[in-house]
Amino acid sequence: MFNGLTLGALLVIVAMGLTIIFGALGVVNFAHGALYAVGAYAGFVAYEYTGSFVAAMAAGAAFLMLVGIVIERGLIRLYYQRPKEDQILVTFGVGIVLVEGLRAIFGGLNRNLPAPSWAGGIVNLRVTLYPTYRIDVLAIVGLSLVLLYFILYRTRLGLIVRAGIEDQLMVNILGINVTRTFMTVFGLGAMAAGFAGVINAPIVTVSPDMGADVLVQSFVVIVIGGVGSFWGAVVGGLIAGEILSLAAMIEPAYSQVALFAVMALVLILRPQGLFGVQGRQ
Amino acid sequence: MSLLEVDAINTYYGEAHALFDVSMRVEPHEVVALLGRNGAGKTTTFKTMMGVMAPKSGAIRFAGTPIQGLPPYKIARLGLQLVPEERRIIGGLTVEENLVLAGLSVPKPWPPQRVYEMFPRLGERSRSRGRDLSGGEQQMLAIARALVREPQLILLDEPFEGLAPLIVQDLLRICRKLAQEGQTIVIVEQNVQAALSLAKRCYILNNGHMVYEGTPAELRADPDFMHRHLGI
Amino acid sequence: MSTAPAITRPRRRTPWPELGMVAFLVAFPYAIPYLGGTIDTANRILDWGLFGLGFDLLFGFTGLLSFGQAAFFGAGGFVASYLLTAPVTDNVLLALLAGTVAAAIFGAIVGYLSLRRAGIYFAMLTLAFGEMFYFLDISPLARWTGGENGLAGVPTPHLGLGFHLNTPLGVYAFIAVLFFFGFWFALRLIHSPFGAVLRAIRDNGERTAAVGHAVAKYKLAVFVIAAAYGGLAGGLLGLLQGFMPPDAFYLETSGQLVVQTVIGGAGTLIGPMVGAAVWLDLYTVLQNIAGVGALWQMILGVIFVVLVTVFRRGLCGGAVLLWRRATAVPPPPEAAAESAMRSEPAVSAPEPRAPIVRPPLTGPVVLATRNLTKRYGGLTAVDDVSFELREGEVRAVIGPNGAGKSTFFNMLANVIPPSAGTIEFKGDDITGLGATRVCQLGIAKSFQINQIFVSLTVRENLRIPAIARTYGSFHPSMLKTVGDDAAVNARIAEAAAAVQLTDRLDTPAAALAYGEKRRLEIGLALATQPQVLLLDEPTAGMSPAERADTVRLLKRIGAGMTIVIVEHDMDVVFGLADCITVLFNGRKIAEGTPEAIQANPEVRVAYLGSQAAHEPA
Repeated sequence: MFNGLTLGALLVIVAMGLTIIFGALGVVNFAHGALYAVGAYAGFVAYEYTGSFVAAMAAGAAFLMLVGIVIERGLIRLYYQRPKEDQILVTFGVGIVLVEGLRAIFGGLNRNLPAPSWAGGIVNLRVTLYPTYRIDVLAIVGLSLVLLYFILYRTRLGLIVRAGIEDQLMVNILGINVTRTFMTVFGLGAMAAGFAGVINAPIVTVSPDMGADVLVQSFVVIVIGGVGSFWGAVVGGLIAGEILSLAAMIEPAYSQVALFAVMALVLILRPQGLFGVQGRQ
Repeated sequence: MSLLEVDAINTYYGEAHALFDVSMRVEPHEVVALLGRNGAGKTTTFKTMMGVMAPKSGAIRFAGTPIQGLPPYKIARLGLQLVPEERRIIGGLTVEENLVLAGLSVPKPWPPQRVYEMFPRLGERSRSRGRDLSGGEQQMLAIARALVREPQLILLDEPFEGLAPLIVQDLLRICRKLAQEGQTIVIVEQNVQAALSLAKRCYILNNGHMVYEGTPAELRADPDFMHRHLGI
Repeated sequence: MSTAPAITRPRRRTPWPELGMVAFLVAFPYAIPYLGGTIDTANRILDWGLFGLGFDLLFGFTGLLSFGQAAFFGAGGFVASYLLTAPVTDNVLLALLAGTVAAAIFGAIVGYLSLRRAGIYFAMLTLAFGEMFYFLDISPLARWTGGENGLAGVPTPHLGLGFHLNTPLGVYAFIAVLFFFGFWFALRLIHSPFGAVLRAIRDNGERTAAVGHAVAKYKLAVFVIAAAYGGLAGGLLGLLQGFMPPDAFYLETSGQLVVQTVIGGAGTLIGPMVGAAVWLDLYTVLQNIAGVGALWQMILGVIFVVLVTVFRRGLCGGAVLLWRRATAVPPPPEAAAESAMRSEPAVSAPEPRAPIVRPPLTGPVVLATRNLTKRYGGLTAVDDVSFELREGEVRAVIGPNGAGKSTFFNMLANVIPPSAGTIEFKGDDITGLGATRVCQLGIAKSFQINQIFVSLTVRENLRIPAIARTYGSFHPSMLKTVGDDAAVNARIAEAAAAVQLTDRLDTPAAALAYGEKRRLEIGLALATQPQVLLLDEPTAGMSPAERADTVRLLKRIGAGMTIVIVEHDMDVVFGLADCITVLFNGRKIAEGTPEAIQANPEVRVAYLGSQAAHEPA
């Protein structure tokens, strides 16, 4: 069950990034999984150079912020007036380029990013023995969410982002250059995905294709939780994590399928998701 | 030099021609009413002034600076502020956050306290979310939001629409006070009498054409003309 | 004007595409060695092409972007391969058919679930379901599918005629024949009534529904068809490889299909096949360049991104565009005159309105509302409005801003449901039936902002409501050529004549002047042959001259038709209306002849405000 929490926590961060981008920019980022993978590799490279896991986390986050800004300024901003399908296609294409780029630079073999020494080992939880690092992941994610909350609800930037998600034009009329915030928002969303990539790297192996599953799972989280909703991403992510781990305990072959089955159920019974707004097609 | 000069603008919604060679001017410290039936183009004129739409031809000058084609945020920073028809309060933000947001791009915005002195109701509701406010409170907030920026010219689009008469009286009093203190205002209103009671000069739009410029007294003196263009 | 409208016939469809395809298929295996490939390459290109035919119908023609087609490719492939390797049968055609049918069934289920949301959600959902099929294949169903190993030993096709098609050319011939039938069917489909509606859905789904089509059914139908194509292509993959691989279910497979289709050109049917050729070609060519080999997919990705950004139509799409430009009909000189009319001088002092003699209205009540109310939270937009419309009447609904006119109008058109009250059409309760159903019953609406099908010609535009009127809300006729349909053509001609667009029938709607577009907008509603016509600000955005033209047009149309018109322009209202209903703050405050309304003091107050309440301080 703890596995589910850890997995769920990571999905929460990834889905948060996805939902921020969609909420503010209206773009569904099909490159999100690729950004997750890029983050893991950035952390890996930083670790190779510095031997410090903290540096890896910082590098992953900062590099992805930069990548996100570059992608938004260079490409996404050309697409705001274009049909949604085109936006999907271009982010999908960017995802391919990023993943194949990783493969070209690092090769297809799996890499390893070991857990930090201060988080290694096993913890005795009385119920079960559990790797310390996974608990630390929970702590890290929790802290990140608090930080994200702080940014969104206690800073100027967060105020603009929240207002811009709701009414971009009005924010513009009030004298604020909204498009400049877009690039920050995309950067933040990319950073979330990349950060999740770094902290998850010690648990899974680092490979160029590691983001594909995450992309799909974050979509499922969004559908279950509701698009554009902060709490939707949180609750949806935790639920998804639990479903995956509980189903794996019962019948491993069906763990992934169970997640999709729940998604299908949500679609039939409550199409807008748990926290979504009705009619937001 | 007028504070605002609109010079023969033609605005389109796609291919639909909405404003036909519309001209008007606003002098400092006056209240000007822009009247007309709905569909006449009043809101379109405001949108064009604020940069929400760009005219295909013609010019708009604010304090001498040409502003047609500029994005809204640049025009706002020059000192023009629109209070839009649907109010457009950011529902997810609190009253105070709405006010702070409005002041972010201004060097010396009104502190919330000053707003609450003028609008005590907003002070009482400062922690409430925008979407939980009543219509009248939202309109007050929308006007307050503009005042926070200390604009040289405020464009008020249908501020009294859908509000109970008592609230309309309240808002009228506030508008009169602002006008007395020298705030330049252009007001679009379908409630003709309310608008005429505030304004020093008025314009009438009909089907996208400017058909009248004069004073309220002159307009009232010709009821047939009024009914022709404003009534039925 | 009572002469019968001239029925201008569309150009007959020539069989060049089919003949060209046959010629290509015959030449392909002989030509491909010169292009650096083998017959196996040709087989793969055709297989992807077949897979892509279905996807192009779904995405290129209907606008539904699915990232999960691999689910059906794999499902069809594994069902067919299992039947052949278990073995359950050795009849290849039967196995392929079973695979295709299985894929179609899965398509129906996945399509039903995914189409519950539109646009971006649809893309996300199909991606998710596609992955679900992959996981099902790998684990729970591994017993039948071979899990990560796939199914080996798929036999080469033999048709029970005594010979095996076990030469490369033989296998190619088998695939080519099936591909040709797939192509032939897809071609017939896009020229059929079904295909016309698909194109309309892609262009403007809302309008397609408003003129009487059950859009959801059409979408599900084309999704199932695309799944079937995928299933057949999957089965063929197992055959041509002798082995059914699990990577048929991969997300990469769905992605490759999308990339190939966009590169080759969506909406051209052969785009996916051309894209597949480009993909395979780039793969072989780039592999041989030192240092670049491993990067070939990244290069392909970059090409894809560049194409989507600057040349969205892809290779074949671009070719089609150039062809159309070269053979385009230049617009007639009247278009210039239309634009000249638009710079008319400002409205001068209006003439006094001549009193209009109106015959008394004695027809039966056609449309009625009883206590119609609409509330949004605490706000009551429409408050207890009852009205009755008689046959042949022209009724105008007017009122100052915020009066509730649009809300009331949209309830009449069954676009939004009321909070209370009912709407009756010829005595039957039609409340809450929805715009499509109501259009089929005989109430049609024209929109304030043009909702025409901009990517179609005028003829093709009018065809859409004509099909709905002639055949009902769902008509899966996929083999008939819609251009030959006499009943539909007659309706098109009638509608075009009514709005004076007969000589512009083959002009693309995007090339029309604004006034012509407004006329087409009304024409679309007229082509459903409604008994009641609802017009939402028909003169919006028009110059004074265009308004006068529109009033004349509406007078002509109005003879005998029952019309409800929402308008702000009082000259238009007085020129047309038999009776006026005035709304204010959601309530009906007056109803009567135009003269009576003009003299009504309550109406004056509504528009101008009460004199007493606002004396300056």
